[in-house]
Amino acid sequence: MRAGDAFTPEQLYDIERAVRYAEEVSGLHFSVYVGGADSETRPFALELLNELEDPDGSVLVYVDPAGRRLEIVTGATAKRQLSDHAAGLAALSMQTSFATGDLTGGLVTGVQQLGDHARQAPLLHANEPHKQ
Amino acid sequence: MQGVPARVRGVITLLSGHTLLVFVGIPALVVVVVALLVFASSIASGPRYRPGLSWWAPPVWIGGPDLNAKPDPANLPELPAGPNSATASTGVARTTGGASASW
Repeated sequence: MRAGDAFTPEQLYDIERAVRYAEEVSGLHFSVYVGGADSETRPFALELLNELEDPDGSVLVYVDPAGRRLEIVTGATAKRQLSDHAAGLAALSMQTSFATGDLTGGLVTGVQQLGDHARQAPLLHANEPHKQ
Repeated sequence: MQGVPARVRGVITLLSGHTLLVFVGIPALVVVVVALLVFASSIASGPRYRPGLSWWAPPVWIGGPDLNAKPDPANLPELPAGPNSATASTGVARTTGGASASW
């Protein structure tokens, strides 16, 4: 790890893999931001969400390690798949890991959990309505 | 060493190179090896996050529009007011959900 980097390449790979997994099972876009906020964390996380290509279909996980704050923001469409209650459960598990100093573990577990909660049920025989 | 008393000669012999090596050198070596084994992993992994202490690293954005730069809030585009917007008249906020936590 170079001095000044938040994560080692292995840790980054683990987080990116969790993000890809969550995106595959949910069909939503997931994004993770780790860094300080210029203002209050919630408005800042909302600004980050709106920077994304498809804010409505995105889930942003914002972690402020210095301020010890975590924000999970879901877009308008994503909110239908990922309820606030499910996001709260994932936040709880992340919070536990972060409190012990395990940023990577918390992010990986939390993002996977968010993806699982937002999982879309497979639509069977959607292209064969006459056989249903 | 013929004029030196026998007791002093014994002390000099005790402090000779071999004795020092055995009684000081080897324990010191063992201490250094154990210390290296203990701290090797943390030295290799670099500084780690400790809650409550200051954060040293630049921002990281995975799955963001630009991995190298943190967006400047002053340059953010104004949000369009869509049909899902909570405050469609002002176009400032969308209907969003989520959760918050602190540790």
